Amino acid sequence: MKSKKGLGRGDTVLGIFALFLLYLLWSSGFFTAAAWSDFNRRFYQNFIKDNRYMMLVDGLKATIFMTSGATLIGVIVGLILSVIRVAYNGGAKIPVLNKFADAYITVLRGTPAMVQLLIWNFTIFASARDLNTQYIAILAFGLNSGAYVAEIFRGGIEAIDPGQMEAARSLGLSYSTSMKLVVLPQALRNVIPMLFNEFIALLKETSIAGYIGIDDLTRAGQNIQALTLEHSQPLVMVAIIYLVIVMLLSYLVRKLEQYLSRSKRR
Amino acid sequence: MPVIEVKDLHKTFKRQDGTKIEVLKGITTQIEKGEKIAVIGSSGSGKSTFLRCLNRMEEPTSGTINFKGENIVDPKCDINKVRQKVGMVFQHFNLFPHLTVRKNLTLSPVELKLMTQEEANVKAQELLARVGLADKIDEWPDRLSGGQKQRVAIARALAMNPDVLLFDEPTSALDPEMIGEVLDVMQELADSGMTMYLVTHEMGFAHKIANRILFIDGGVISEEGQPDEVFNHPKQPRTKEFLSKVLRH
Repeated sequence: MKSKKGLGRGDTVLGIFALFLLYLLWSSGFFTAAAWSDFNRRFYQNFIKDNRYMMLVDGLKATIFMTSGATLIGVIVGLILSVIRVAYNGGAKIPVLNKFADAYITVLRGTPAMVQLLIWNFTIFASARDLNTQYIAILAFGLNSGAYVAEIFRGGIEAIDPGQMEAARSLGLSYSTSMKLVVLPQALRNVIPMLFNEFIALLKETSIAGYIGIDDLTRAGQNIQALTLEHSQPLVMVAIIYLVIVMLLSYLVRKLEQYLSRSKRR
Repeated sequence: MPVIEVKDLHKTFKRQDGTKIEVLKGITTQIEKGEKIAVIGSSGSGKSTFLRCLNRMEEPTSGTINFKGENIVDPKCDINKVRQKVGMVFQHFNLFPHLTVRKNLTLSPVELKLMTQEEANVKAQELLARVGLADKIDEWPDRLSGGQKQRVAIARALAMNPDVLLFDEPTSALDPEMIGEVLDVMQELADSGMTMYLVTHEMGFAHKIANRILFIDGGVISEEGQPDEVFNHPKQPRTKEFLSKVLRH
């Protein structure tokens, strides 16, 4: 466990890196008055003029909307698939369901998310032109994520000592009740970091939604580029926004992990 | 009528490579109400497997187990109902680490609607006092010592008001200085008239607590009788050999 107080090795490395970066900027004239005014002018062009920052705000809304929707679908689908596989391995007589879950995971993990997104949009929902494209993206990303989440959950469930299920069953609880009240809560706690990584990946993955015409955050940056013919600022801004969200999520999950592990505190 | 009646019980395990191994080769015995039976035998003799068949933690391959007159091996039997009345205490305690001690005790009675949460709480308090852990009711299992965990596990099994308690080597995973506190609780249980079925390596305790000893060897009961008979005057050569090995120290 890392200590919470004081500067660690990582902080020192980060500090040296920041100083080095500042030196580079300084030596290339970044801090001269002329460079500043140029930077400000371009910043105004890219983000302030005509309220262009609203393009990024709307793009961010679309990205968050798609990520949340896909996360919800991913967790539900993943949970169902993993429980099917675990129950089958545990002796439940559900060969057809298990084959389905197996095939689902193989196909959705074995093909690029991008291709799946295009197929959903241009083949399966090709004739549903008045359907909001964002819903198609949510479905595509969610079902794709479900395959990965299923494997995460399965690993988490199988990592729980079989004695837990036995103890619950020995008290007269049914398989499903034991799963729900004893095994899954513990499995969930164990897989939170991995689930979280999956959702960070999902957040970033939605940046391909532009390919089916959704103005998500990434596409919004490109749209500003097209208006101002500016290549660096809009995309760097987009990158910074992604990074801030990811770091915020990381912080929240750390808090959640601390809360969940309260029974282990001594 | 016996609480549990076992007839010609067989259990065959399938190994990973497809070969089969017969662990139980026809066991017939019965447990009367209030009896305390200690099962002894060397590792791999099938004594734990036999115990685990009694509440169908393991599925027997053939044979019958009658619990209060109902054949629990019958696929039509509602095993969950039976398990409510056949408590089990495990070698590794298997407390639910994500629940407090109180919740460990009340989860099943409340979930199965046998008691309200309030009734279950009162019962939990009583049982914890009985095993000497009244002050630990709001504690997390991971903050308890091994002996305390096993006493909570016993209380958890008792919370279901079982007709019989199965103990699967309850002290084998404990540090030596913690064995005593668990055995004391079991002794108190025995004195209160609980029907107990105990697989153990604690020969002295088996001698003291049991009214009948089963010596299982090679998947069959090779000798059974009163503790004095079996421990002091064993008839079978295998029993003699086993006892000479475990009692020498």
